[in-house]
Formats: sequence, structure tokens, C-alpha cells
Amino acid sequence: MRGLIARRVLLLIPMIWLVATLTFVVVAAAPGSYADTVDHPGLTVEQREALRARYGLDQPVYRQYLTWLGSIVTGDLGTSFVTREPVGRLLARALPPTLLLGTAALLLDFVLGILIAVGAAHRPRGWFDRVSTVVGLVIAGLPSFWVAGLMILIFALLLGWFPASHMHSVGADDLHPLASLGDLLRHLVLPAACLGLVGAAGTARYLRSTLLDIRGERYILAARARGLSERRILWIHTLRPALLPVVTLLGLSLPFLVSGSVVIESVFSWPGVGLALIQAAHARDIPVIMGITLMGAVAVLIGSLLADVLYAVVDPRAREDGT
Amino acid sequence: MSRSRRLQVGVTGLCLLVVVCMLGPVILPVPPGIDPAHSALLPPGTAVTEVVIDDGRTLVSPSVRFEGDTVVVDGPRRSATINRSQITAVRDTRFWLGSDRFGRDVLAQLMAGGRISISIAALAALIALLVGTTVGLTAATGGRLVDAVLMRLVDALMAFPVLFLLILLATLFRPGPLILVLVLGMTSWMGLARLVRGQVLTLRGRTFVLAARAAGSTPTRTWRTHFLPNLAGPLSQDTALRLGDLVLAEATLSFLGLGIPPSIPTWGAMVAQGHRVMIDGWWLATLPGFAIAALVVSLALVGDGIQERLLRGRS
Amino acid sequence: MKRSAWVLVLLLIVVSCGSPGEDQTVIAADGPPARGGTVVIGLLADVQNWNPYLVEDLDTEHVLALIYPSLAIEQTDYHRHPPSYEPSLAESWSWSEDHLVLTIELDPDASWADGVPITSRDVVFTWQVQTSPEIDWLYGDGKEFIESIEAVSDHTVRVTYTHNYPYQFMDLNDGLIIPAHAWAGIPFDRWSETAWRDHVLGGGPFGLAGHTPQQEITLERNPHYHRPGLPYLDQVVFRIVPSEQGLITQLLAGDLDFVRSVNPTNIDRVRANTELQLVIYDDRSYTHICWNTEKPLLADPQIRLALTKAIDRDTLIDVVYGGFGRLGVGPVLSSFWAFNRDLASVPFDPNAARAAFNAAGWADTDGDGVLDKGGVDFAIELLAPAENELRQDLAILIQEDLKRVGVKAEPRFVEWGTLMAAMQDGGFDALINGWEEPTQIDLSGLWMSAPPDEPTFNFGRYSNPEVDRLLSEVGEMTDFADQTPLFNRIQELIVADQPYTFLVENTRLTAHNSRIRNVEANAATPYFDVDEWYVRTGPAKE
Repeated sequence: MRGLIARRVLLLIPMIWLVATLTFVVVAAAPGSYADTVDHPGLTVEQREALRARYGLDQPVYRQYLTWLGSIVTGDLGTSFVTREPVGRLLARALPPTLLLGTAALLLDFVLGILIAVGAAHRPRGWFDRVSTVVGLVIAGLPSFWVAGLMILIFALLLGWFPASHMHSVGADDLHPLASLGDLLRHLVLPAACLGLVGAAGTARYLRSTLLDIRGERYILAARARGLSERRILWIHTLRPALLPVVTLLGLSLPFLVSGSVVIESVFSWPGVGLALIQAAHARDIPVIMGITLMGAVAVLIGSLLADVLYAVVDPRAREDGT
Repeated sequence: MSRSRRLQVGVTGLCLLVVVCMLGPVILPVPPGIDPAHSALLPPGTAVTEVVIDDGRTLVSPSVRFEGDTVVVDGPRRSATINRSQITAVRDTRFWLGSDRFGRDVLAQLMAGGRISISIAALAALIALLVGTTVGLTAATGGRLVDAVLMRLVDALMAFPVLFLLILLATLFRPGPLILVLVLGMTSWMGLARLVRGQVLTLRGRTFVLAARAAGSTPTRTWRTHFLPNLAGPLSQDTALRLGDLVLAEATLSFLGLGIPPSIPTWGAMVAQGHRVMIDGWWLATLPGFAIAALVVSLALVGDGIQERLLRGRS
Repeated sequence: MKRSAWVLVLLLIVVSCGSPGEDQTVIAADGPPARGGTVVIGLLADVQNWNPYLVEDLDTEHVLALIYPSLAIEQTDYHRHPPSYEPSLAESWSWSEDHLVLTIELDPDASWADGVPITSRDVVFTWQVQTSPEIDWLYGDGKEFIESIEAVSDHTVRVTYTHNYPYQFMDLNDGLIIPAHAWAGIPFDRWSETAWRDHVLGGGPFGLAGHTPQQEITLERNPHYHRPGLPYLDQVVFRIVPSEQGLITQLLAGDLDFVRSVNPTNIDRVRANTELQLVIYDDRSYTHICWNTEKPLLADPQIRLALTKAIDRDTLIDVVYGGFGRLGVGPVLSSFWAFNRDLASVPFDPNAARAAFNAAGWADTDGDGVLDKGGVDFAIELLAPAENELRQDLAILIQEDLKRVGVKAEPRFVEWGTLMAAMQDGGFDALINGWEEPTQIDLSGLWMSAPPDEPTFNFGRYSNPEVDRLLSEVGEMTDFADQTPLFNRIQELIVADQPYTFLVENTRLTAHNSRIRNVEANAATPYFDVDEWYVRTGPAKE
């Protein structure tokens, strides 16, 4: 297994290079847009030239590409056109809120998803199963921004139970740490719920079919023949092997921690990576968009690596296989 | 829901949506005219009277009073009084799904938006199908080096979170319907390429193909009789699901303001605009959301149904 | 109807649930203003730059005015004559006989937030910055008639002008005063790259205490502020909420205390909330369509007049502005002293519009609903900023109005950068824009023929030689009373030529929590005299 991990890690480097190259190619291929943002109508010709030189836009393309690669290696992702601060600093600030939101959403997603799947698999074709299937199908089809708007309307505007946006109330820093935490949690509920619910529908569906498949397996029949209770069979003998696909799903969802919340962050003004991306898109702040996109891709690559490793750890068969 | 029912329900829903959107303007009655001063934000089902005047204006309102020689058209803030002699036409009609802030019929807008959303998603899916199939085939039949290079490329492209890539592309390339179709198509062909490659590789090793080859069947013949039918199933399932993803992707981009310019808003843009008047006009954001969900769910059901058929066919 | 009633009931529940424990029925009699309290103000976008001379955005200017001081505060009494001034940093001033030299006495108690006194050196330094070609301040042209500014003593400044004209003091006062001792060390050519947040140092009522980019700005009382006892408030916090809907939502929820601009669609909801107070005033801005007079379709003034006549501006105001706003008339706002009171707004007359198009040879010969001539459709593109929902709404309504007379106007919403580029290189047919009008009536920036290849604000390249001549003449006059007849004639000509369709003179709706007192939001700035705001004391809020 060590060999497997080592190989995958080594493979990561050329993949990151490829991803960075693709990012650059896409941006370079766009019609003059990079330069557009830098341009301002009020600039004189000299000022325009100076700005271009500063961003290296007067260099031939291959030079820009090499500069781009070089700066990535040193961790410099460029400077924002709008705020003039390093993209890395912007990301460092935006990442924790996104991770927080993503983790909360994933937790909700899996807990809810597992509960529903178990409940449905307990009595297949029973009323709970049918209802949850239909509801899950509909929820999975609803656009997340629509769900968010509805939840804001009901829970924030009409009922006033939760705040409608942002991560903190004003002056939250002055509060006692516990109260500040409570304030944060209150702000977290709605966005995490929006993300988590839609995810839970998909997770529940996937898990349910996995559970049902396992139930039909021979060893389950054997357990039943031995006289074990349904409950015991479900929780111990069915759920455990089902955890394997759960782990896979979890691994696949890891990159989602970073990228899944773009829309939700936008609607809730949650100060994370997604919101930064949207704001950068509207301001045509290309370096920020490039930096975030690159970071997202790298996160996915690392995430799938972790998922594979996790899978190998959990599933003895995969270990022996060595693939 | 029984498995076989899924396909039926899905196909029915899909056909219904497509037919209504595409043929709606032809088969349904003409919607009320646009009169923002008097018929804005009317709830679904409101009956209105439409009065056309000789200077070309159309007045529409739920409250139109005929008083002798004059006609009074009431609006929320002011009323218009006109002379009977100015009237060229009068009609009683209804805003079946309500009106928006500018007095436009929501049903008509949903249909127009649906035409655009469906067309964009369909065209993008077509592009994805073409590119994905080509790349997948090339990888499967082009030798190990070609396969390795192409698959690494696919892996790298798939590493980008889709929405990030879409936003990057939508920002760089000026949004227009054609560009949007290209952008959506070029970000969704990768999964298909993997699928095709996998299928072709598997099929190549299958006994019946080897047998056919041994029997002297030409490559094209092998293709047509053995590969394509086997590909058709998984491809159509994938396409159905992909269409759903594309519809959601387009709706999300429109919602974020990065889609096509909103002179005819797509469903996503309608939700975004509807958000602004959530309390006064809940139907403006809710109905397009339902429409999107209906389309995506129908497509998902179709995809599920096809998968079910495939599984049954296998065993 | 049933559903709307249901919503209304829920709304009432919301309103009554919204403020537990607060006494809504009786407003206790106010004693003297109390010191203390925090006000949270909503902003659509973060401060663009912390150096006032690198800023192009009005909202940022208003925020910076809380930090940096001015010589005097311009009042809003410009309906009959140019505005008057209240002393601030400049305690008093006097003119020479020939009105060419102004001597200013600075308040000797004024100092910067770090305790260093504000002296004439700062005023001189500020002027150097304002006129520096390297910094190229957006409003630097306003200083062209100031020959010199000298520091006669620590607190006496002498300003010498090139000639006598109505706006001498205004030109001097334009621009915030910045600290020489802190900023003179930074060479001007490095100004655009400096991170100014680290150098913020003001002498105004508040100082910068914290800034989380794109989220929040915290300002705290400046203990060295020169007006004794002021400001009353401890803190002013600006919260960035990038959507108008979000601003209103938070205002209604009580998370924000002050929103500069309430979209009229939300008026009823704000009125229903008894904790909120609306301030309605005539803004000094107007919204218009700028026609590109160089495009063949739009080169004829009769065509432009016809386009204006086809647009139902009353309905625009009704639907988009909730009935708040006046019909636009011409290039000078009707609230200004120089407004030509004999001018009437172009009437809404679609029949006359159609007749004018026909007279110019346009008719719908192919029955597609669009006017055409010689095989060419009358089709134009109407640009509006993607960030401004109000202007987008206008575009949609205008499209409908024009469709009625057979003109195809396709709205296109573009981001600000693209719009600015289009404005400069004439890459547009028509665009919806707004101007904030300065109290110094100078129409030459917008209406004088623009020399080609130079940046200009006359985006539509309007050119009328008689207007040019009159504008030059007016510029030479020293007395505003003399200028009036020429201004009247200029307005007549411009209205006849319709290079703009003057849509609406904006009325601004500001909403704030009623616990904040002394709010005098007006057309100069929503935070007018913010140093006199105070919070009605009540139960301590957390």
C-alpha cells in the first residue's frame, strides 16, 4: 500500500502542472479580456503602458506562462486588480469560513442521509421509503439558490429565527467568546441547512440502494436463518459494509468542502471562497479568479488522493489488489 | 414509485414541459398586454380587462370601469381615464401565473425562458456528446500513448470544480447564447469521454466481438451491429442526467448574473429577479424554481428508467 | 387575493415580532444629546481606496468625509443662488478688495488623530496633491484658477486667484484636507501602489479603527476632533452588503441602522416598520439615456425627440421609483438656481413620435413590427450597468415603450469596466447613466464639443457650435446673475437637440432607525453633519 500512496503522490505533481497550464491557457485564449480589466478610460497612454508592464501583460505569451508557473511554485498567486492585495492573502482569509460552512453542511448531509437511508431500507417499499424517495428526488432537482431564497424568506424574514446573511452580527467581537460562538452558530444554521439538505437527498438515495443490495447478499440471509433480530442485522451486519461506499462518498465530497458553496455564499453573503469568486467575477478581477480556480482544482486532486487512500485503508480487498 | 413507472413519468413530464414551452405561444391564448402602471405584481389567476387605445397603448387592469362615455382604468397608485371613442379593442383575459413588476405575463415568460434554457442545455449536451464520444473513442482505439495523454487531460479537466470553471469562462468570454452553449458544452464532456472509453474497451474484449471478427466482419460492420447498440444505452442514460446538470448549471450562471444578457430572462434569471420582491410577489421566484426542478427531476427519472432497463436487459 | 392577504397577515406578524421588548408607542421626550452609541450603516461596496485623491466613487468619498476634515462645509441652500458655507477647519476668512486674495484663519485647536496640530502646511500640501500631474486627481481641474496657496503663518493661509468668478471659494474648498506630516514622505509616483489603509490619518470626527475587506469598516470617535464635545457617537460601523435587497432585509431585521438608498419597491415595508424613519429629499442627480449622436440612426435631433416622446416617463417613475422623482427636463436640475423655469418637459406622445419617424422616412414596410428604411431596421442596443438593478428595470420598460412605436431597443447589461470603455470609445448606441450634478454650474464638461481622442464626459459626442460659444462666454463671467440669461438659452438649445433623454430627477429615500437623532441626510451627503448625530438613550443594547 505504501507503494500505492507514493505513486499517487508523485502523480500529483504533473497533474498540478497540467491544471495550472490549463488555467493559463484558458485565460490567455480569451479575447483581450485580461487587459480590459486593467484599462481605465481616464488613463493616459503612458499610464496604461506602465500598468501593463507591472502585470507583465506586455510580455510575449510564453514568458507570461513561465512567470505564472514560477510564481505558483513560490506560492505567489498574483495580485488582485481591485484591492491590490496578494491573492494568497485573500484566499487565506476566505478559506476558513468556507471550510466551516462546508464541514457543517457535510455533517448535516451525512447524518441526515444515513438516518433516512437506514429508515428507508428498514422497510423497503413501506410508506417512509416511498415518501422519502419522492421528496428526495424533488429536493435533488431544486436549484440551491431557490431553496436558499425560500429559507431566508421563511426563517429569517417571516419568522425571524435566524439572521438573513453574513457570518457575524456587528460587534460580535466584543462579546464573550461563548456568546460570540453562539452568534456564529446562529448565522451558520441557514446556509449549512441549504447545502446539507440537497446533499442529504443524494446521499440518502445512494446509501439506500447500497443497503438494499447488501441486504440481498447471502451472508445476510444466513444471519437471518441463524435467528438474529432484524435490528441487529441492520445495524451491525448491513451498515458496516455499507460504510465503505459512505467513506468513498465522503472522500469524493472532500473537494466539495471548498467549491460547493459558491451559490449559497453569494446568497448569504458568507465571506468565503465562493463569495470572493463571485465578487471577482463581477469586477473581472482575473488574478483572483485564476487563483481560486487553481486552488479549487488542486483541492480536488488532493481530495481524490485522500479518498483513494481512505478507501484502501478501509477495504482490505483493495489493499491486496495493489491497484 | 415502481421502477418501470419512473421512465413513464419522466418521459411524460419531459414531453409536457418541452411541448408547452416550444408550442405554448401557438396553442395557448395570447397573454394580456404589458401595462406596468396598472397591472404589475398581480397574483396568479387574476382576471383582467385589456383595453387597446388608438395611440397604440394597451391598458390592462383587474379593475376597469365603464362609466358612460369614459373608461377608468385603475392601478395601485393612479388611474387612467380615457374616452370611449379612443378604444379600438377590449378583451377579458387572465394572468394565469400572475404578472411581474413590469406587468409581463409570468406564464409567457416561463415559456420563453424555458425555450432558451432547454435549447441551451440541449445544444450544450450535443456538443458534450460529440466531443466526449470523439475523445473517448480516440483514447480507446488510438494506442496506449494516446490513451494515457487524453485520459490525463480528462482527469485534469475534471479536477476543476465545475462551477469555478464555468465562472472563469463566463467572465473571460463575453456572455452571449452561443458562447454560453460552448462554455457549458466544453465543461461537461469529460465524464462522457471516460464512459465511452470504458465501454469501448470492455466491449472490445467481449467474446461476441472477437467471434464476429474471427468470422470476418469488417470494422464498420462490427461497429454498427455490436458496438453502437451497446453504447446507446449507457450514452442515453448519461445524456439524460447530463441534461439535468446542464439545466441547473445554466440556471445557476443566470442567477449569478453571469449567464446570457437578461432581455429575455431564463429561469435562473427569473429566480434572481424574483428574489428582490419575495414578499410582494412570491410567485415570481417560486414558479421558475419549480419549473427548473420539474425539468431536472423529469430528466433524472428518464435517466433512472433507462438505467433500470439496461440492468434488466443485462441479466 | 387570498394569498396576498395571507402574506399580509404574515407580514403583520413579522412586524410585531420584530422588536421584542421595545416600546413602540411612546417616544420618550428627548433630553440633551447623550454621548455614546454605535450606528451601523449599510454600504453596497467596500471603500475603493483610503486616499481621497485616488478615489472615483461617490460612496467612498462620503465615507472618507467622516475621517478627513474640510476647510468649510457646503450648505444646501442652492435654490436661488450658489450655496453658502459653514466654517469647519477654516474658522474664518476674508477677501481682499479686488476679490483676488482670500485669507483664511484655521482653527488653532484642530489637530490630527495622532495629536499633531493641523496647520497651514497641511492645506498647502493638500493643494499640491490636488494639482499634481502624477496623481492626476479626478477633480483637479477645479483648481486651475488658483494661482497659489501660501502658509503665511501656522494658522493663516493666503489663497491667490487668477481672476474673479462666482465659485472661488467652492473651488478652494473642494477636496478633503490630508496630513502633510504623515503623507509628504511618500513620493507621488508611488501613490497608486501604496496600501493606504496603513496610512489613514484623519482630523475629522471619526478615525479608522478596523477594516475587514469586503465585510466591515469600523470608525471610532476621534478624540482630537476640533469641535468640542463632538461627535456624540462612539462608533460608526459600515457594513458591506453587496445587494440592495440584502440592505433592506438587514435594515428591517434591525442588523443595520442606516441605509442610504431605499429602493421604492420596499417603501411600504419600511413605512410599516415603526422603528424606522424615512428621509425623503431631492437628490442632486438625474438619470438619463445618453444617445450616441455619431451613430447614423441617432444623428438627427428630430429622431431623438421622437424617441423621447415615445417613452412614458411618468410610468417609469411610477413603476421603477415607486412614484418618487420628477420628470427630467434638461441639463440643469430644477432644484438649482440656474434652472430655466420657462422650459417644459418633453411630453409623452407616441402618436407624435410615430409621425416624426414617418416624416424621416421610417416605416414598417416588412410587417415585422420594426420600423425600417432602405432595408435597415431601426434597431439599437441600450446599455446599462450590470450592478444597477434600477437602471436595468428602466431599460426593460424603455424597451417596451420603444417597441410600441416600432423601435427595437435591445437592453444589454454590462459590468462597469466594459461600460466605461464603451463610453470612452463611442462603442454604444444608447446607454442609461446618471449624473450627480455639482453645485457649481459648469455645463462645459458634458455639453461642449469634445476634441477627438481625448478622454471626455461628453460620451455621445454632442456638438452644437452655438452652445459652445455660449458656454465659453458664460465661463468668462464673474457674476451669476449675468450668467442666467445665457444659461437659459443654453438649456433651450440642448433640450431642442435632445442629446439625452432626461428621464428622471432623482428623489432619494434614506431610511434609518429612529433611535438615531439629528439625521439630516441631504443631497450633499447622507451623512451630513454626522458629528451631530446621537443615539436616543434607552435600555442597553448588546
